[in-house]
Amino acid sequence: MSAHGVIAYFADAGALSEAARAMRGKGYSRLDAFSPYPVEGLADILGMRPTRMGRVILAGAILGALAAYALVLYSVEVDYPVNVGGRPLHSWPAFVVIAFECGILGAALAGFVGMLAANRLPQYYHPVFGAPGFTFAHGGRFCLLVEAADPRFRKGVTKRQLRGLGATEIEETVL
Amino acid sequence: MADAAATRAARPPVLRGRHDRDEITGRIGSIVLRGRLPRLFWPAFFVAFLFVLLFFFSIAWLISVGVGAYGINIPVAWGTMISNFVWWIGIGHAGTLISAVLLLLRQPWRASINRFAEAMTLFAVAMAGLFPILHLGRPWFFYWLLPLPNTHMHWPQWRSPLVWDFTAIATYATVSLLFWYMGLIPDLAILRDRARTRAGQLFYGILALGWRGSAFHWARFDRTYYLLAALATPLVVSVHSIVSLDFTFALIPGYHSTIFPPYFVAGALYSGFAMVLTIAIPLRRAFAVEDLITARHLDNAARVMIAAGMVVAYGYLSEAFFAWYSGDTYEQTTMWRRAFGPYAPLFWVMLACNVGVLQALWLRRVRFSPLALWIAAVLINLGMWLERYVIVVSGLANDFLPSSWGTQSLAWLDYGIFLGSLGTFFALVFLFIRILPAITIFEVEELADEKAGRA
Repeated sequence: MSAHGVIAYFADAGALSEAARAMRGKGYSRLDAFSPYPVEGLADILGMRPTRMGRVILAGAILGALAAYALVLYSVEVDYPVNVGGRPLHSWPAFVVIAFECGILGAALAGFVGMLAANRLPQYYHPVFGAPGFTFAHGGRFCLLVEAADPRFRKGVTKRQLRGLGATEIEETVL
Repeated sequence: MADAAATRAARPPVLRGRHDRDEITGRIGSIVLRGRLPRLFWPAFFVAFLFVLLFFFSIAWLISVGVGAYGINIPVAWGTMISNFVWWIGIGHAGTLISAVLLLLRQPWRASINRFAEAMTLFAVAMAGLFPILHLGRPWFFYWLLPLPNTHMHWPQWRSPLVWDFTAIATYATVSLLFWYMGLIPDLAILRDRARTRAGQLFYGILALGWRGSAFHWARFDRTYYLLAALATPLVVSVHSIVSLDFTFALIPGYHSTIFPPYFVAGALYSGFAMVLTIAIPLRRAFAVEDLITARHLDNAARVMIAAGMVVAYGYLSEAFFAWYSGDTYEQTTMWRRAFGPYAPLFWVMLACNVGVLQALWLRRVRFSPLALWIAAVLINLGMWLERYVIVVSGLANDFLPSSWGTQSLAWLDYGIFLGSLGTFFALVFLFIRILPAITIFEVEELADEKAGRA
């Protein structure tokens, strides 16, 4: 049972954001915050780089659309060309529809799978689940986690600082 | 400005009263976890289940006897299977509109109705997807629509709207499922932590994927959710446009018209919102969540219906006008026979429901009376089904060869399959309400905290 960190609970989103900003100001870098719903700007305060989900989704869209279009093109030009009164084999207006739908499909799949992968989910165990107060049972709480791996981490000092920032409750998490 | 502010003040709030997170979680969660259901829940489910049995029986009958068992024949080779398909897929579209478009427009009133509207989309698409397959005659060969290697070395006909339709519906079903499940993950974490039984903890725990609400996770979740919404919006327009291309690509009087794509999309939203109200009004009453799904939601849904319904009415007008203006005898005959021929009763009931009943929604008193609104919504659902039926059948019955003109009548199997699909849809909605939170907990929490100035 080695120490994983300290988790502090706050009354609301505003207090949590303030505390996160203050702890960052004190030089802490291994912080994580938990909230029942997305809190605007909290990830930025914690030093998260801008998310690249947009690019992942764009890549999925392009890949899906190109793959579908290439399949259609291969089938009409190479594998099964049918000459109907000299009409062009590559009748693209008709194929755009299929490419569009498959592009959306690729984007959605890339977004969903990419979001889970970037978040390392599913991950059924995490040390914060061991903290007695960490539960979504009452709708979720606003908490700030300081990991023991943080170079600034000193258990007593960190706890005192968190209490000074208005934490209503402080618990230790273990690995 | 002052006027606008006064009007807004006069409108009921999105969320009535003050709520805290524990209370919201408890109320919505206990429906699922403790099975706190209204007394008539299971009897009503039983009735729906009888229709599920009817559905299975009808499908078995259809497959064993063949498509001749319901009311299609040459020249009317498209019958209720196709009108059911268009109707159901349209109903699905309102769920996507609520969950995606209202999210992008940052409309707070979507929060408490988006979850069941999305579920409604899924079940409606599931129903819709069955009909073209049942219509095939040999449904077990439906996978020929996929570009799979088969014994005949054939490819699908890429230039056919039917194949486009297949990709559109498959994409729509997948995207709706992903969007719905993604929005469920935070709520599943709540249920996981609230569940008292081992089975409940395991069930919701596995589905929640270990969600812990980290700020880093929320940032990616939020971005992805918005982008999926931005993708779902053009998707929903494309799906029903492609459905309408099934008709317009055919050189059939009454089908071959450029008004169809927008007219079908508007019709989809119209009937979809009617179905949202058909479900929401009894739901909020039965589960006593009138403070979460407020008069504001019903009012807004009714307003969307007015907008979509008036576009549909314009579509009717445009169809009639261009039938006359085209100068084409066959177009004119089809239109004339639609209104005064063998389908006249259906046509006029359709107009009475979709254009007549709609006008009642202009009245504030109707929009604020749940019962009146519910009756209007059910009638509009009926009207929209008739619209699809009238469009599908009347064009085919009178095409460009008068020698092959015919009519169509409904057999018992048409009713069996349609009522069966309705029952199956509602049975799925009942099971959904029993198993998953029908109101998005985390978004309502956010709304309540914002309102209380805590967020």
